[in-house]
Amino acid sequence: MLDRLVGLSMLIAASAIFLYYTVWTLFMPFVDDDHPLHSLFPPRVWAIRIPVILIILFTTVVGSFLSVVMIRSNRKKALKAKQKKAS
Amino acid sequence: MTRAQQTISVALLLTSLYLAVFMEVVPLPEKIQDDIVPVLPFWALISFGSYLLFKLGLGVFTFNDVPDAHKELMAQIKEARADLQAKGVDVGSD
Repeated sequence: MLDRLVGLSMLIAASAIFLYYTVWTLFMPFVDDDHPLHSLFPPRVWAIRIPVILIILFTTVVGSFLSVVMIRSNRKKALKAKQKKAS
Repeated sequence: MTRAQQTISVALLLTSLYLAVFMEVVPLPEKIQDDIVPVLPFWALISFGSYLLFKLGLGVFTFNDVPDAHKELMAQIKEARADLQAKGVDVGSD
């Protein structure tokens, strides 16, 4: 039951994000500035800033995780080589 | 042609098409050129991400349990364990 809910929420979230972002970026430029529809959307600069911030955040997280794993693995390898030399 | 070559060639094609429009090699109405063209890559990225999320959610939503197969599998595991234990293999505890 729970997994069906999770799946359904993912479906709804994906559709909502796609619809909102498409209307925001592709349709709003053609809507007159005094139309009430503009009150539903932030200024269009944010349509660029939010994805850029998310991309930077994502690469930061992935990059730090990768570096931590690689440093740890190298440290283990160096430790093993030292132990082998000492024995 | 490998899958990677195929993907890269499609990506290169789309990139060159977009660059042609972006560098104003192709004349477009001013409104579209100023407001829509710069936003297209971000729109494509967000659409791709939401498509992946949609596909994931659909898979999770329509994943059906198969109780008969489960019962059969558990019975087979039990049988295999009994058989191996009789032959002296350490099958652990459940």
